[in-house]
Amino acid sequence: MDSNLQTGKIVAFCCNYTATVAPETLREAGLIPANLEFRKLPCTGRIEVPALLDAFEGGAEAVFVAGCHENECHNLSGSRRAGKRVKYTKEILEELDIDPSRVEMFFVNRAETEPIIEAVREMTRRISKLGRLHAI
Amino acid sequence: MIIAERKPLKEILEMISGVEKLLILGCRGCVAVCSAGGDKEVAILASALRLGRKKAGKPIEIHEDTYIRQCDPEYLEPLKEEGKKYDAVLSMACGVGVNFIAECCPGVRVMPALNTSFYGANLSSGEWAEMCAGCGACILHLTGGLCPVARCAKHLSNGPCGGSVGGRCEVDPSVPCIWQKIYERLTSLKQDQLLRKIMPMRDWRPAGHGGPRHRIREDLLP
Ligand code: SF4
Ligand code: SF4
Repeated sequence: MDSNLQTGKIVAFCCNYTATVAPETLREAGLIPANLEFRKLPCTGRIEVPALLDAFEGGAEAVFVAGCHENECHNLSGSRRAGKRVKYTKEILEELDIDPSRVEMFFVNRAETEPIIEAVREMTRRISKLGRLHAI
Repeated sequence: MIIAERKPLKEILEMISGVEKLLILGCRGCVAVCSAGGDKEVAILASALRLGRKKAGKPIEIHEDTYIRQCDPEYLEPLKEEGKKYDAVLSMACGVGVNFIAECCPGVRVMPALNTSFYGANLSSGEWAEMCAGCGACILHLTGGLCPVARCAKHLSNGPCGGSVGGRCEVDPSVPCIWQKIYERLTSLKQDQLLRKIMPMRDWRPAGHGGPRHRIREDLLP
């Protein structure tokens, strides 16, 4: 996977159940790029809109949340709530003339690494196409 | 309660252009309940404006606070001095709060972050509808508790207008014809004789048409 920093920073918010493998292990195995910043939450239902916006303000080119499938969430409706907040964040980005596809919610299988890696690939594709949000 | 909604971000960014140090001030009254201007919304707006200004290459320093109410003088007391530390205060209260800051805090520049819309009820999570227009001379005892002043597009006192179709308002079919509902409700309550009474022309002065309204209770004055 392209891990060069030219593509810019990606911030991922994952819960304890979707991200069971330590990011360092994935990074050492070359499965996720160096430009990915991993933030673990007890449940993605804890994610708030300001945290997503602040990640962009802090230099992220793309931000995503990976939560359990809606009917499999450990905390019942946590990932559904996260999905709504991501949707609202998209609306705010649009108001600011920032492409809303820079933020995304992924519903993934619990304890599987591949869907997270695929989410990183998808966001990397998007930001390569969109170009830089922040000056290098 | 008073229902309000956030102004478009571009309008707010335009309003605060040139401001380098801003206080966003929320209110824990009505606007917090209708998710327009409480603690959460203050945090979201602050993050959005910081991002918007950073993107424009003009970073801004934003402080966040929320008062219990912005429409009572005792809660505004700290703002009289605190407000002067900022280039501007962006109030997330209803228009009453913004007006009251302007009245009580000389030397503080205050701006509205919300559009104050109406007095409404919470139909379900995320949905509100207008129910009263504050006309100052309530007639709900004559209309089965349903308000034609706020809820009839033509504010008719002796409706319906004759244009409703299938129980929906002719002006906006997405809302029910309130006079149809008044008719159904009074009939079901066996009070339909009220419909035969012609309501006289209304005096709109208590509704504000005679100038700004003001109320005094001598027994409560200091
Ligand atoms: S009649 Fe006047 S006071 Fe009564 S609910 Fe309607 S607008 Fe409000
Ligand atoms: S259709 Fe009913 S609610 Fe609409 S304007 Fe006519 S009387 Fe009023």
